[in-house]
Amino acid sequence: MRRRTRSRRATLGGVLLAVSLAAAQASSQDRRVVRILAERFTFTPSQITVKRGTIVEFRLRSDDTNHGFHIVGSNASVIIPKRGRGEATLVFDADAAGRYTFECSKMCGAGHSFMRGSITVEE
Amino acid sequence: MPQTVSQTVSETVSDTVSQTVCDPVSQTVCDPEGPRVGAGRRAIVFRVIKTVILNGDDTAMKMLIVRSLTTAALMFLGVCPLLGQAEQTPPPTVRASQVRRDDSAVGSQTGPISGYMDFHLNKPERQDPQLDFHRFVLLFNHSFSERLRFVGEVEIEHGLVEGLEESGELEIEQAYLDFRLKPQVNFRAGMLLAPVGIINERHEPPAFFGVERPFVDTVIIPTTWFDAGAGVHGTLGGGWQYRAYLMAPLDATEITAEDGLAEAKQQGFRSNVRNIAGTGRLEYVGYPGLTVGTSFWRGETSFNFKRVESHVGLIEFDGRYHRGSLGVRGEFAQVYVDGADAINDFQQRTTGINPNIARQMRGFYVEPSVRPLPKLKYDIGAFLRYENFDTQFRMPAGVLPLKQFDRSAWVVGASYYPDPDVVLKIDYTILRNRSALFGSADSLNIGLGWWF
Repeated sequence: MRRRTRSRRATLGGVLLAVSLAAAQASSQDRRVVRILAERFTFTPSQITVKRGTIVEFRLRSDDTNHGFHIVGSNASVIIPKRGRGEATLVFDADAAGRYTFECSKMCGAGHSFMRGSITVEE
Repeated sequence: MPQTVSQTVSETVSDTVSQTVCDPVSQTVCDPEGPRVGAGRRAIVFRVIKTVILNGDDTAMKMLIVRSLTTAALMFLGVCPLLGQAEQTPPPTVRASQVRRDDSAVGSQTGPISGYMDFHLNKPERQDPQLDFHRFVLLFNHSFSERLRFVGEVEIEHGLVEGLEESGELEIEQAYLDFRLKPQVNFRAGMLLAPVGIINERHEPPAFFGVERPFVDTVIIPTTWFDAGAGVHGTLGGGWQYRAYLMAPLDATEITAEDGLAEAKQQGFRSNVRNIAGTGRLEYVGYPGLTVGTSFWRGETSFNFKRVESHVGLIEFDGRYHRGSLGVRGEFAQVYVDGADAINDFQQRTTGINPNIARQMRGFYVEPSVRPLPKLKYDIGAFLRYENFDTQFRMPAGVLPLKQFDRSAWVVGASYYPDPDVVLKIDYTILRNRSALFGSADSLNIGLGWWF
């Protein structure tokens, strides 16, 4: 009976230790909020540089119509609500160095195709 | 039966927030109006009643009732925003290591159709008022892949197209393929907008003040200026971006003393490209609210005249800035017509009419504006624009300019936006020229424009 109790305590301890380590690892990642203003036909800022391992939370607002925010090469896309109607959020886990392009994914006017920006992830 | 309880509660929560989920695959959106709390309340009450009636387990029932009523009470009172946040599905996450470089992340996609419309009432001084469905524009787009895109823009002007002199126009203003190579260099070919000035690439009705486009963006920069061509565009870093195209040139036979370059575009109608024109734009967009840019155009333009050589050059500077409720924009453009004297002489000899084309035209405007309300769903704005434009700024040697073409305009007006994409505009335009013989007509203009 005692052996079984010890075994349970050991298991519980192991689980707690694993959870603590995982939590510590998660909190060691930098988290950064980047606010981007979208308007015909620019994102401001349009060039973002972060360190590898950063979790970037994009908070996206529009100053005019609906825009889209799409990271090229992924299938994630959000629609940025019209002016005065709140913001959209997209999280980018910068777990690999490189340059990533984002763009407006909702037709917003004659210059829609120029509405692009980039995220540079440095080592 | 605790499992049943937790399952039931989670289903309830799921029902409550399902409208706010961003679906990354279908590219549908978070509901811009926010969580539908009313639907959540109804779902909770309904599920409590259903569970009480159908399930006989007392413990489960009590736990469910307590949890559900607590949740409902908090939501009714609106005192627990954290609860609402906790219920929302987390935003879509993109991992850099999973971003594909092989152009296969997004397949072929079409649409949706977008467009804008411009409906005007114009009342010039001493003339009857006119209702004009000025522009009806539809935009189409198709992605063959992430790197290869098509965009098309078809416009009907003035609501009716017929074959006579006075008629509307059916135009393909844009129809191009974009080959997206990398941010710095992308290739584009087809029917292109000349990258000149503020309005030519940015002419959706809610995007500018005033019912009609500025005079400078009509007679000095002939918006909407489009033609067949090809070129490159991209970003240079630090907020700088550029476009550089080769396009069909302007037609010197259509340059006039009064309307300047307004009718000189070939518009992709079997455009003569014996000599091609070059155009480009460099602009800075790196500071919030600020855009400054410069554009140029240069092209041989006398392809319809034998033994006459003429070029049209244009240089332009513009800027826009808004901060808080205040904004200002301005533009300066100057046109050079090399060989204007030869064109006038040739026209005189062949048609009997001297078009009196200037060797230089010039125009500029400044437009301060205010949008006094905070950024609400409903918005208003007011503006004052001063324009000065002269289509006979410098004449060929020995020819005097006509003063009626040295004009200025004060335009004062307001815009009301019941929706960010819908605008009701009103303005009053005071048009003056420097001639003692020829008067100018002021006008009252009312417009309704929308983008979708």
